[in-house]
Amino acid sequence: MIHPILEIDHLTHTFPSGGGIQDICFCVFPKEFILLAGPNGSGKTTLIRHFNALALPTSGEVRLHGIPVTADKVAARKTVGMVFQDADTQIVGDTVFDEVAFGPQNLKLPLSLIEKNVTRTLERLCLAHLKDRHPATLSGGEKRRLAIAGILVMDPEIIVLDEPFANLDYTSSKDLINTICRLNQDGRTIIMAAHEVEEVIVFATRMIIMDSRGCLAKDGHPVDLLGHLEAHGIKEPCFSRMGYKAPPWQR
Amino acid sequence: MAALNLFAFRAGTTALHRLDVRTKMVLVCMVSLAILAADFTGCLACFLVLYGLIRTIGISFIRLLAQLKWFILLLIIMLLTSSLTIPGTPVFSLSGVMVTQEGMARGALVAVRFFLVMMTGLLFSATTRPTALKSAAQWFLRPIPLVPEKRVAIMISLFLRFLPLILDQAQQTSDAVNARCGNLHKNPVRRIRCLTLPVMKKTFMAADNLCLAMDARCFTEDRTDPAFEKGGKERVFLAAGGGLCLGMVWQAKVSFWMTFWS
Ligand SMILES: Nc1ncnc2c1ncn2[C@@H]1O[C@H](COP(=O)(O)OP(=O)(O)OP(=O)(O)O)[C@@H](O)[C@H]1O
Ligand SMILES: [Mg+2]
Repeated sequence: MIHPILEIDHLTHTFPSGGGIQDICFCVFPKEFILLAGPNGSGKTTLIRHFNALALPTSGEVRLHGIPVTADKVAARKTVGMVFQDADTQIVGDTVFDEVAFGPQNLKLPLSLIEKNVTRTLERLCLAHLKDRHPATLSGGEKRRLAIAGILVMDPEIIVLDEPFANLDYTSSKDLINTICRLNQDGRTIIMAAHEVEEVIVFATRMIIMDSRGCLAKDGHPVDLLGHLEAHGIKEPCFSRMGYKAPPWQR
Repeated sequence: MAALNLFAFRAGTTALHRLDVRTKMVLVCMVSLAILAADFTGCLACFLVLYGLIRTIGISFIRLLAQLKWFILLLIIMLLTSSLTIPGTPVFSLSGVMVTQEGMARGALVAVRFFLVMMTGLLFSATTRPTALKSAAQWFLRPIPLVPEKRVAIMISLFLRFLPLILDQAQQTSDAVNARCGNLHKNPVRRIRCLTLPVMKKTFMAADNLCLAMDARCFTEDRTDPAFEKGGKERVFLAAGGGLCLGMVWQAKVSFWMTFWS
C-alpha cells in the first residue's frame, strides 16, 4: 500500500466574518496531479495555506508523512512549496538570481551550493538569460516561472499553485502547463487551485471540487466528473460540452 | 512598475562593476568630501575623471543632462539666488536688483560641486547591485554592538522593494479616484483621505502577502551571509581616488593662500 504524503483530517477554518472551509478530509499520494476547483470564495486559498502551516486550523489537522505540519514548520515549508495567487507580492529579491536564492539562503546553505542550485534551477525553467533583471520588469509568464523557480530550488516534494493562470495569455499559459507537467513527470506532486479548469483538466490525475460554502463537494478522476461541473459553479470544458471525450493526444 | 531611471543598477562588466562595494563606498565618501573642499580647478579635474568613468558604463552626456534636468534647474535657481543676494562688485544691475561677481562665483562653485556629487552618486548606484549595497551595509554595521545587522539588511532590501510598489499603488489609486471625478472635490482634507486610506490599506495588504510568501520560503534572520565580489583592482582604485582627492584639496588650499598673500 502506498502511504499518503499529506493527510487532511477534518480540517475546519472559520473566519470571524464568516466564510472559510468546513470539515475537509482527503489524502494526497505521491506523483498525483490534483486539480482543486471551485468558484470564487469557495476557500481554495484558505485550504492550501494549511498545507504548510501558513494558516492554522480552527479544528482538525494536516499531517505530512504522518507528522502534524505545525510540529515542524520549516520541514513542512521545505516539503510543500507554494506559488501564490498574486505573482507580484511574493517577490522578495532585487534580481532574478537573488529572488531564487532567497529560500536556500534561509536554509543557511553554503554559498557555493546556493550558486550551483540557483543556476541549475534557472536553466531548467529557461530563466538563465534573465538572471540580472529586476523581477518587476519581467512579463507575467516569466514572473510565474520565477515564482516556481523560487520554490523549486528548495526541492519540494509537493508544489502547490494558487490560480497560476490568472492574467496569462495563451502562449504563457501553454508554457506554464508544460513546465508544470514536466515537474509532475519528474515525480513531484502537484496541487493546483483554479476556477477555470479547461486548460489543465486533461493533465490532472484527480480533481477535487469545493462548493461555495467551503465544503468538499466531489473528489474523483476528472473524466468521471465531466458533466457534473456546472452544478458546482465551474465552467464545463469545451470538449465535454460538445459531447466529446477528453482528447487523447493531450493526456 | 515605477519607471526605472538613470540611477537604477545597469548590469555590466566594467572595472567599476567588479570593484568591491565596500571600496566603492569608501571612495564615494572620500571623493564627495574632496569635492566640497575643492575649488574650480579641482572640480574640473574631478569632472573629467567622473565623466570618463560615466562614459565607460555607457551613459552619454546628453542622456545625463536630460535625466538630471530638474536637478539642473534647481542648480540654476541656486546660482541665480546667490548671485542676487551675496554682496560684492556689481556686474550689472537691473532696476535696482544687482548681480555681483562674488555672488556668481560662489553660486557657480556650489552648483558645480552639487553636480559633481550627483555624478559620483550616479556612478555608484548605476554600477552597484542593490544586494551588494545591502551586504555592504551589513558588513559596516557588524562591528557596532547592539545593532542587529542582518535585520537591518533585510529591512533595507524590503524598503527598496516596497517603495516602487507604494508609489505605483498611489498612482493607481489616484487614477481610480479621478476616474470617478474625485478631483472635483475642493476640500483638500477629503481628497487626501480618499487617497491615503486606500493606499495605506493596499500597502498593508501587500505587506501581509509578502510576509506569508517569505514565511512560505522558511524566512529566518539567521541566513547565509552574502559574499563580496572582488575584482582585484581595489588597491589601484583606492590609490588613484586618494591621489585625486588629495590633489584637489591641496590645490584648493594652495590657491587660497596665494590669493590671501597677494
Ligand atoms: N483574511 C480573511 N478574513 C476574513 N475572511 C476571509 C479572509 N480570507 C478569506 N476569507 C473568506 O473566506 C472565504 C474563502 O476565501 P478564499 O480566498 O479561500 O477563496 P478562494 O476559493 O481562494 O477564492 P478565489 O477563487 O477568489 O481566489 C471567502 O468567503 C472569503 O471572504
Ligand atoms: Mg484564492
